[in-house]
Amino acid sequence: MPESRLPNIRVWLLGALVVASLFMIAFGPAFLDRFALNVLSRSMIYAMLAVTVDLLWGYAGVLTFGQAAFFGIGAYATAMVLTHLGSSPELMLLAFVLAILVPLVLGVVVGWLSFGYGATPLYATVISLVLPIVVTQVAFSGGQWTGSSSGLVGYATLPLSLAGYFRLTGICLLAVAAAAWIFVRSDAGKVLVAIRDNEARCAYLGLNASRIKIALTAVLAGVTGLAGFLFANASGVVAPENTGFVFGTELVIWTALGGRGTILGPVLGTIGIDYLSASLSGQLPFLWKLIVGALFVAMIILLPNGLAGLVGKILPRSKGSRGEGGPLRQAQVMQAPQDVVDKPPLLTIHDLGKSYGSLNVLQGINLTVQPGELVSLVGPNGAGKTTLMRCLSDGTESISGSVSVRGANIAGLAPDAIVALGVGRKFQVASVFDSLTVAECLRMARAARYRPSLVHSSQELDLPSAAVEILKLTALDGMLDRPVSALSHGLKQSLELTMVVALEPQLILLDEPTAGLTKTERMTIGTILKKLTGELGLAAILVEHDLDFVREISSRIVVLHQGQLVLDGTVQDVVNSELVKAIYSGGAHD
Amino acid sequence: MTILLDVITTAAILFVVAAGLLAIFGVLKIINFAHGAWLTVGGYCAVATTGMGLNPWLALPVAFVVGSALGGITEVLVVRPLYRRPLDAILATWGLGIVVGQLITLWFGRDVQFTPNLLSGTINVFGLDYSFYRLFMVLAALVVGLGFAVLLEGTRLGLSARAVIMNETLARALGIDTAKVRLTTFMIGTGLTALAGVLLTPLTSVDPDMGLAWLIGAFMLVMVAGSSFGALAVACLVFGGAQTLVSTFVSPVLGGITVAVLCALVLRISPKGFARA
Amino acid sequence: MDRTTRKLLFAMAGGLLATAAWAEDPIKIGIPVGLSGANSVVAPSVVQSAELAVEEINAAGGVLGRKLQLEIADDASGAAGAQKAFDSLVFQKEVNAIITMETSAARNAGLPIVAKGEVPFIYTSFYEGRSCSPDLYVNGWVPEQQVPPVVDYFVKKEGAKKFFLVGSDYAFGRGMLEFARTYLEKAGAQVVGEEYLPIEGTDWTAIISKLKSSGADALITSTAGGAPNVTLTKQLRGAGIKLPYGNLAVDEGTAKSMGPDAAGIYIAASYVTSIDSPANKKFLEAMQKKFSGELRTPNDLSVPQYEGIYLYKAAVEKAGSTDASAVLSALGEVSVAGPRGTVSMNKQHHAPLTMYLGQVQEDGSVKVVETFPDVDPGTQCPNL
Repeated sequence: MPESRLPNIRVWLLGALVVASLFMIAFGPAFLDRFALNVLSRSMIYAMLAVTVDLLWGYAGVLTFGQAAFFGIGAYATAMVLTHLGSSPELMLLAFVLAILVPLVLGVVVGWLSFGYGATPLYATVISLVLPIVVTQVAFSGGQWTGSSSGLVGYATLPLSLAGYFRLTGICLLAVAAAAWIFVRSDAGKVLVAIRDNEARCAYLGLNASRIKIALTAVLAGVTGLAGFLFANASGVVAPENTGFVFGTELVIWTALGGRGTILGPVLGTIGIDYLSASLSGQLPFLWKLIVGALFVAMIILLPNGLAGLVGKILPRSKGSRGEGGPLRQAQVMQAPQDVVDKPPLLTIHDLGKSYGSLNVLQGINLTVQPGELVSLVGPNGAGKTTLMRCLSDGTESISGSVSVRGANIAGLAPDAIVALGVGRKFQVASVFDSLTVAECLRMARAARYRPSLVHSSQELDLPSAAVEILKLTALDGMLDRPVSALSHGLKQSLELTMVVALEPQLILLDEPTAGLTKTERMTIGTILKKLTGELGLAAILVEHDLDFVREISSRIVVLHQGQLVLDGTVQDVVNSELVKAIYSGGAHD
Repeated sequence: MTILLDVITTAAILFVVAAGLLAIFGVLKIINFAHGAWLTVGGYCAVATTGMGLNPWLALPVAFVVGSALGGITEVLVVRPLYRRPLDAILATWGLGIVVGQLITLWFGRDVQFTPNLLSGTINVFGLDYSFYRLFMVLAALVVGLGFAVLLEGTRLGLSARAVIMNETLARALGIDTAKVRLTTFMIGTGLTALAGVLLTPLTSVDPDMGLAWLIGAFMLVMVAGSSFGALAVACLVFGGAQTLVSTFVSPVLGGITVAVLCALVLRISPKGFARA
Repeated sequence: MDRTTRKLLFAMAGGLLATAAWAEDPIKIGIPVGLSGANSVVAPSVVQSAELAVEEINAAGGVLGRKLQLEIADDASGAAGAQKAFDSLVFQKEVNAIITMETSAARNAGLPIVAKGEVPFIYTSFYEGRSCSPDLYVNGWVPEQQVPPVVDYFVKKEGAKKFFLVGSDYAFGRGMLEFARTYLEKAGAQVVGEEYLPIEGTDWTAIISKLKSSGADALITSTAGGAPNVTLTKQLRGAGIKLPYGNLAVDEGTAKSMGPDAAGIYIAASYVTSIDSPANKKFLEAMQKKFSGELRTPNDLSVPQYEGIYLYKAAVEKAGSTDASAVLSALGEVSVAGPRGTVSMNKQHHAPLTMYLGQVQEDGSVKVVETFPDVDPGTQCPNL
């Protein structure tokens, strides 16, 4: 395989880059003039910020202008301690701790506001606009505490020379960039991409996306605060503009121009642009801004992934993780918790009702499902089948009546908590992660059960045997390295089913798993379902239109009509039922 | 009494400023962060018009035409490729705002520009001398609001636009040329914003940054209002009122961030804002 | 080689070096200034007056036989830009002195850099006062010099007793009005209101309504220059406010761009173009001749810049070299006669100045109403 040699080149390139950076940090002061040292020290601090913006925006998909606010808070915390309390090694340490801690705590609050229950995706951006405005206003109104518009200046900083600051910021940047680089390649880093791609799927894989994003926001706020600490020391001045919305937009511009979704791009982009603007803006202040602005617009439209994206297109297989370390070894661990059969019924629905305003979508539904059953849910369009599935998998839906999984009432539980109870849900349209590979998607399904590593990128894939079997049946086991975006529709459906099975659920909810599949693919899925329920003792509820398919695999059929459960019986009962025939033939009149 | 007038006129000014942004967001679901730049373009249309010795009122139609023309170019070149990437559209329009601002600076210079007042002096309302122009802004807001109501309810374009708002795929299936609806809406939105820029000149300085100060406030109000002009009017009254009250009774400094903070809180509690009302 | 030859050779080499110095070793003056951002309105006029000063000095033989050379850098009117600009000037261009007007944030950002690079800094802008550093000299006014003329005039000539103060919420706005409040209260007048709007604020409605209902008989404002000033004035006039109106932050150019709205405003400044002195006439003629169509109206920021360069020249000549510490100690002793009169930065690194109270006329020009000679800057930096 020609691909297997390329990763080596990449590793070599990266190693060379790290060595070069270390060389620059160590010997840069010997041949760079004071101007370059001073400007580069600052550019490297800004580059640390760009890395945090990139992790949030490029990887987790959260567009933020708010990093400037955390940066300003870190810088102000440092400057205020050193100005108002005085200078001593202890106070410097206090400044350092506060510069990280205050943004971190605020980051939790902002994260909760941005991603807590009920927040819309755009809301994080809204908050990130308001935050710098508020912080800047506080800085202006702070009188002598914050120095108002003049900022704070003249406090005692770390006793370092220009070269010392250059080395300190260089090492910090290298550390932050390396940590970020390792993190985004780790299993945990892939979770961010998964959330960006498909947050709903993450929730239905048992991952609490909100909590992950809140944690990310808080940690990155802390890193940003550290950059603020460095800035307050290196520059010796802190002013309101360091914390403002406009600075926040600049960070985004640098990140975009360098290349979001890569680590190296934003670092080089920021250092390059900031250094150039320090050198050029004196000659042509307005023209320089005009050029940067125009480049930015062009870049967003034409090259959404920035210059690094362009380089990636030229260098073959730039996505480092893919193919790295060769094909994936597959360790099969089968714990088969399915053998432990619970005593109460798996699912109990009692008098369930759901309405939108005056429209009753579901009414008085009673249903019990035991382990090993394969219940098909049939009924004409609009009968409420998908709504019922949603009510079973998302406890935050407002319903009347109750739904219990293994004896636990799911009212108020978010989808990820219901997954933890043992419910897996497959959507009607294949819901997978387009930016990941097949193996990474499957790992995502295991992420809620086994906390993914923050540093390692697994080469193995531990899956329950049932999932492995599906992979084999569908030939997906030979495509583990393949990006999901390259899969056929049918394979995506199979992959999603495998992901759901990999959750080791006791109850699987499937919404039209065979829609749009070929006959062979249907057969395969049917075989799998029968095996899961018949041999492994899982229960499944299946929404399906294809009555032949239903007849073939179901152990029981439930008919839903106009929001009510009209029939519940064996395949034989239902197939021969006059009522069902009437519903299906007369459905058009409703 | 003064406070009541202050609240109403403040709301009217906010409404006029935010209307163009809402038109675009409502139909296109695109947040036009070049909004501030279009306001500035309007302000400079007033400068150019009066600079040529023409009647200052003539700046209104001039700004509308210039604004829509530039908006048309923008829609085709910048916004059209980004309908599926709404966050990128925010960024691209922000970048465009920078470009427009710098072009204006290169052309007219950084200085504050002179613009004559459209209406000066005060008139007596209920025994109070009140700024004539601020009261005129209430009229302007009513004209803009009613104009949109007529446009949306009474014209073919309005019907198409409403169809696009409700269900774009269906609208396209029904043979509506959604590309044309988008282009027209965008042009109307930017034209209206430039017109609002002219209307602002008697109230603010005209300089290359004049629009920026209004951007965040307008953005927040539109987020709360969703796609409804009625909701925008309510939002302007509520938040403009809150701003006036906070400025009067607490502190104008807090008043300055009232709209942004309150809107953010409202959106947190009710993500759809006033759109349901 | 005998002694005489050696001496001769040395003398020749010295002569060569001396001519080389004229050609290659000018004294560099750094001007970090807001070519973009808030100060970009006034920055071009500052650069012009600096260019005139340098041209005049070089034409008259330079300083200690060396030419002056300007190095201009954009500070984007803020702290971050100022750091870049100072870095570039101090460390890359290796200037001998920084002479400029800037925002307070930019000045503060620059101070640590001039300290690191050991470069004298003459600050030529009026400001809120009390910026103290051994490296810094100031030849613009401070509140102690600017506020009294306005207040005294309003109290004595207009009979004002109740004052309303309005400002932008930033160091200059607050600093000026805080001083004004103390001074007013000492003068026996009453402050019936003191209100601030955020520096980017555009809506003065509530403040104007408060002003109207306060019963004030005079108004003093101190906003950020440019946009906020124009916005406030337009809205004041729109609301029909006709009180005596002292504006602590308006310059002649901005007043002109406000048109009729600015008429009647009182300003206090150390320079207005209508100062009737031979030095000012000569200066204005020279500016007109050098820049003609491109001329930016000289103002209270550009003229101190012009004089600042002359002050530096005098200090270098007194010190006999461009050595930073020698120049810094000389700067406090020299004086220069310029368009504003004779200026010397001998009061704790600040300068006593002649202040002019002017009133903006219908055509935008400023008429001097009263002159206050040699107003003392008061206690600015007691430790210097």
